[in-house]
Amino acid sequence: MMNTARLARNARRTVPFYLLLGAVMVIFLFPFYWGFITSLKFEVDIYDFSGNFLVPKHPSLFNYATLFKTPLYFRWFGNTVFVSTVTTIISVIISVMAGFAIARLRFRGAALAGTLVFITYLAPKNFLFVPLAQILQNWGLLGGLPALILTYPTNLIPFCTWLLSGYFANVPREPEECAMVDGASRISAIMRITLPMALPGIITAAIFSFTASWNELLYSVVFVSGETNKMLTNGVIGAFSGGDQYYWGPLMAAATLSSIPVAILYLCFTDRFVSGITSGATKG
Amino acid sequence: MDSTSRLENRATSAFISRLLHKDSSLGYILLGPAFVFLAVMMAYPFVYAVYLSFTDKQIGAPASFTGLENYSKLLSTSLFSKTVVNSLVYTAFALVIKFFGGLALAALLNRPFVGQRVVKAMLLLPWIMPTVFSTMIWSWIFHPSFSIVNEVLVNRIGLLAEPIPFLRDEKWAMASLIFVNVWRGIPFFGITFLAAIQSVSTETIEASKIDGASKWVSFWRISFPMILPVVIIVMLISTIGTLGDFDLPYLLTNGGPNNATTLFSLTAYTLSMSSGFIGLGAAVTMTMFPLLILLVIASLISVRKQQQD
Repeated sequence: MMNTARLARNARRTVPFYLLLGAVMVIFLFPFYWGFITSLKFEVDIYDFSGNFLVPKHPSLFNYATLFKTPLYFRWFGNTVFVSTVTTIISVIISVMAGFAIARLRFRGAALAGTLVFITYLAPKNFLFVPLAQILQNWGLLGGLPALILTYPTNLIPFCTWLLSGYFANVPREPEECAMVDGASRISAIMRITLPMALPGIITAAIFSFTASWNELLYSVVFVSGETNKMLTNGVIGAFSGGDQYYWGPLMAAATLSSIPVAILYLCFTDRFVSGITSGATKG
Repeated sequence: MDSTSRLENRATSAFISRLLHKDSSLGYILLGPAFVFLAVMMAYPFVYAVYLSFTDKQIGAPASFTGLENYSKLLSTSLFSKTVVNSLVYTAFALVIKFFGGLALAALLNRPFVGQRVVKAMLLLPWIMPTVFSTMIWSWIFHPSFSIVNEVLVNRIGLLAEPIPFLRDEKWAMASLIFVNVWRGIPFFGITFLAAIQSVSTETIEASKIDGASKWVSFWRISFPMILPVVIIVMLISTIGTLGDFDLPYLLTNGGPNNATTLFSLTAYTLSMSSGFIGLGAAVTMTMFPLLILLVIASLISVRKQQQD
C-alpha cells in the first residue's frame, strides 16, 4: 500500500518531466528528422502532404544519387577536404605554440598577449571580409583556394589558442622539468612529455577547426570564384537553388550528409568540448 | 672544416639552443607565428577597412579619398537605418530569449534522469550542426506554400485559418530569423548554464535549504550569482556573434522582404560584392565598430573580474 502511494507520487513528479522533456526534444530535433525524411522522398512526394507525410511513402536514395551525379560534387568535396585539412594543420600548430607560450612561459608581455588573443577571438570574422577581399585582390590571390587557406586560420587561431592555453595551464610542469634535468633539451622535453598530456585539448582544437572550415560560407562565397573552385557549402547551394527555385530533395540530402560526420565527432566529444569552453570561460 | 669554423658552428648552435630554452626568448619564438598571422590577416585588414571607408572604391576602379561622404550617404538611406534597427532588434530579442530559455532548459535538466548523457548530447545538435544546412532545413520548414508547420496548424489541427507567411511578411520574417537563431542558441546556453550550475558547491545550497529557503529563492539568491561570470561571458560572446551574423539572414531571407531582415554583415556584402561599392561596404562594417568595442570592453572587464576572484 505504501509502495503504490510512493509510486503515484513519483509518477506525478516524473511523468510531467518526461512529457516536457519529450516536447523539448521534439522542438530541437524535429528539423533534422524532417530534413532527413525529405531527403528520402521523390520530388513528387516532397510536395505531397496527404496522409502521413512524416514517413516517406516511397523511400529512395534518388536525391543522394542526384547529389553525387552533380558534375562537380566530388570536386567540391575534395576542395573542402583539402582546405579544411590544411587550415586545421596550420591553425593547430600555430595555436599549440602560442597557447603553450601564453600558459607556461614567463616573458614580458605574456599577459598582454593573452588579452590580445581574447580580443581577436571576439572580433567577428564577418567584420573583415570587405578589406580582406580587397587585400587578396591586391595580392592576386582572390578567386582561388589559397585565399581560403590564408584567411580561415585567422578565425581559428584565437579560439584554439584560448582553448589550448587553458589546457596547457592544467598540465603539470614537473615531468617536463624532470626530463630536462635528465638531459633533454627544452624543445624535446616539451614535444615528448608535455604535448602528449595536452592531447585531448589538441584533438578538440583540431575537431573544432576542421568542422568550422567545413561549414564556412561567407569567405568561400566572397573569396573564391569559378565553379570548380567552390567549396561544398556554396557549391551545393548554388547548384540546387537559384532565384526562387529550390530543389529541396538534393538540398536536404546534402544537409544530412554534411551533418553526419560532424554529429558523430561531437557526440563522442561533447563532454570534453563543453568543459573546455566553460573552463576557458571561467578562467578567462 | 678548420677548427675556427667548427668553433663558430658550435657557438651558433649553442646560441640557438639557449634561445630555445629560456622562457623569455622561447616565449617570443612560439608566439611569433600567431602574432605575425594575426597582424597580417586581422590588424592590417582592419586598418585597411578604416581607410577604405573613407574612399569611393568600387570593384575594378581605383580608389580616391572622399572623406566622410560614404558615412553621410549611408545615414541618408533607408537601407542603412533598417540595417541598424534590424540588427539591434534581432540581437536583443535573440539574446533575451536565449537567456531565459537557456536557464529554463538548465533548470529542467538539472536532475538525474534516465538517458541524461544521450539527451544532453542530442539537445546540443542544433548548435553543433553546420549553420548552412540547418538554415536550409528551416527554409524548407518555413516554405511559403509547403510549410509543414502551416500544414499541421491549418489543415490538420485547424488552429489557424490562414497559413503563416513566415518569410514573406516583414514582421514574420524577422520573427522567423530570431526563432532560428534562438533554436540554435538555447541548447548551447542551456548546457553551458547547466554545467556551471552543477559545478556550484552543493553545500551552500543545502545550507540555504536548511535555513528554510525555497528552491526558487535558493536558486536566484545563491546559485545564480555564482554562475553569473559564466552567464555574462556566454552572453557577451553570443551577442558579438549574433550581431555579425551572415549565414542566417543570407540563407533564410536574403535580407528581405524589402530589407526587413538585412543585418550589418549582409548589407555590407550586398553593397560591396553585389553592387561593387567597396568603400560603402567598408563604411557599413565600420559602423558596427563602436557597439563592438563596447561589447569587447565589457567582456574584458568581466573576465578580469573573474580572474581576480
